[in-house]
Amino acid sequence: MKTLNISALFVSVLLVSCSREPVPLSYGKDPCEHCKMTIMDTKYGAEIVTAKGKIFKFDAAECMVDFINDNPGKYNAPGDMLLTTNVAAPETLIDARSAFFLKDKAFKSPMGGNLASFNSRQLAENNLQNADGTILTWDELLSGR
Amino acid sequence: MKNLVPIFLILLFNGAAIGKTIVVKPGTAVPSLKKALELATNGDTIVVKKGTYISHNTIVKKEITILGDGYPELDAQFKEEVITIRANNVKFDGFTIKNSKTGAMRDYAGIRVHKARNVTISNNKLVNNFFGIYLSDSQWIRVLNNQTEGTWSPLESGNGIHLWQCGNITVKNNKALGHRDGIYFEFVKNSTIEANYSSGNFRYGLHFMFSDDDLYRRNTFKNNGSGVAVMYSKRIKMFDNLFVENWGSSIYGLLLKDISSSEIRNNRFIRNTTGIYMEGCDGVSVVENNFNNNGWGIRVLANSVNGTFTRNNFLANSFDVTTNGSLNLNHFKNNYWDKYEGYDLNKDGIGDVPYRPISLYAQIIEQIPQSVMLMRSFIVNLLDKVERSIPSITPESVKDEHPRMKQWTN
Repeated sequence: MKTLNISALFVSVLLVSCSREPVPLSYGKDPCEHCKMTIMDTKYGAEIVTAKGKIFKFDAAECMVDFINDNPGKYNAPGDMLLTTNVAAPETLIDARSAFFLKDKAFKSPMGGNLASFNSRQLAENNLQNADGTILTWDELLSGR
Repeated sequence: MKNLVPIFLILLFNGAAIGKTIVVKPGTAVPSLKKALELATNGDTIVVKKGTYISHNTIVKKEITILGDGYPELDAQFKEEVITIRANNVKFDGFTIKNSKTGAMRDYAGIRVHKARNVTISNNKLVNNFFGIYLSDSQWIRVLNNQTEGTWSPLESGNGIHLWQCGNITVKNNKALGHRDGIYFEFVKNSTIEANYSSGNFRYGLHFMFSDDDLYRRNTFKNNGSGVAVMYSKRIKMFDNLFVENWGSSIYGLLLKDISSSEIRNNRFIRNTTGIYMEGCDGVSVVENNFNNNGWGIRVLANSVNGTFTRNNFLANSFDVTTNGSLNLNHFKNNYWDKYEGYDLNKDGIGDVPYRPISLYAQIIEQIPQSVMLMRSFIVNLLDKVERSIPSITPESVKDEHPRMKQWTN
């Protein structure tokens, strides 16, 4: 019985250590993996959780895109979780691949990308403020930078 | 001489004819700055007497001089910005500016200057504003002798002195405390930052983004999140500054990222986790600086090229230089290293054997950060000694062929 308990404990530890969960960005503490700036603005930010569970944090979606493009084929596998901060609900991370990115001068994201992420196209359209603003999907954003 | 007197008189009367003075005082016919601005015409002077005035974004659209007498308070009551200057040739001097709104979507500021030229902002005290002084799309602005204190709240703080798309700006003798960045430059050209004091800011004391041809000198950056970050900029001169006590993981005295053709001269880096961190730099020269009591003196990533490190003093740093690669194309010459154990037989003041600033232990920490717990242990000292005598693992290219025997008087 005791051995069973111990092995159960062992298995549960294994299971816990295998689960891949996004980690909340720690504002004012975590540095951006790409630009090294301290992550401060709660409206912007992004995170990669790789298939192996390694976590990279970014201060803006544009930094995550540049990071992915600088390391081709390394962090954009289907198993890698890509997350971006929902501008409409600061401090919450949403799936970047299904997010919509509003590129509009009114949104001063930390690395000058003027990118705001939303979880629906409708919300992105509602927040459009300048006539030359555009709305991009993840794939358009990735190939456009 | 006789001819000069009438000329002088004409000038005097001219001056009087152009500008009248409007006095603002509570309880009089002109009880607010807003009222005075309605009455004023270009060239006038407004003097605001001591008192507290409510100012929900007073907008200055005329070319006038506005002087505070006894630091009158302009208070936005957390509802709006305090004052916006949108005219050329304005002087704004001697006010207490407080309580701008804080907001997620807009950058509310204490004093905003937008699309203006030849404006002076001087001798103001800014308290509890989201952004302190905010300049955008402006040229030839002087920001002198102001003190700005932010909200001291990490998530609800803007920058102390924020510049966006400006040129020919002078920022001198200011103090920035408790903001996100003390001084922030984005797309700012040909500007000078001199003799400012930046402390207790949550991100950086001074922050450059995409700003070229700027100079900062004689500033002090103490105990900020990180000291100074210079990013994606060209031809920046950094002279005579003091970087002190910027402590913590991923915190640097000076962080350089994608910088080219820049000069770092005669600065002092004291008690920082990392004195200078360089990533993706090209043609940066580090000359005549002092690195004292830092964890890492200089950390240069291998993607930096054409760096020169000359006539610096390295004293009591845990690690003088570290890197993550081979550091070809970067040159160390004529520095003073307190860890140098060579000799000088011909007495020319230059050591006869090269000094290798990257220790074996620094290379080990690079691979296995946890090995930091072995610091200053016997085995580490032994390893370093062996490596110094028979170099095999530390990068061959990183060496100072002419190390100084005596300290430079930088």
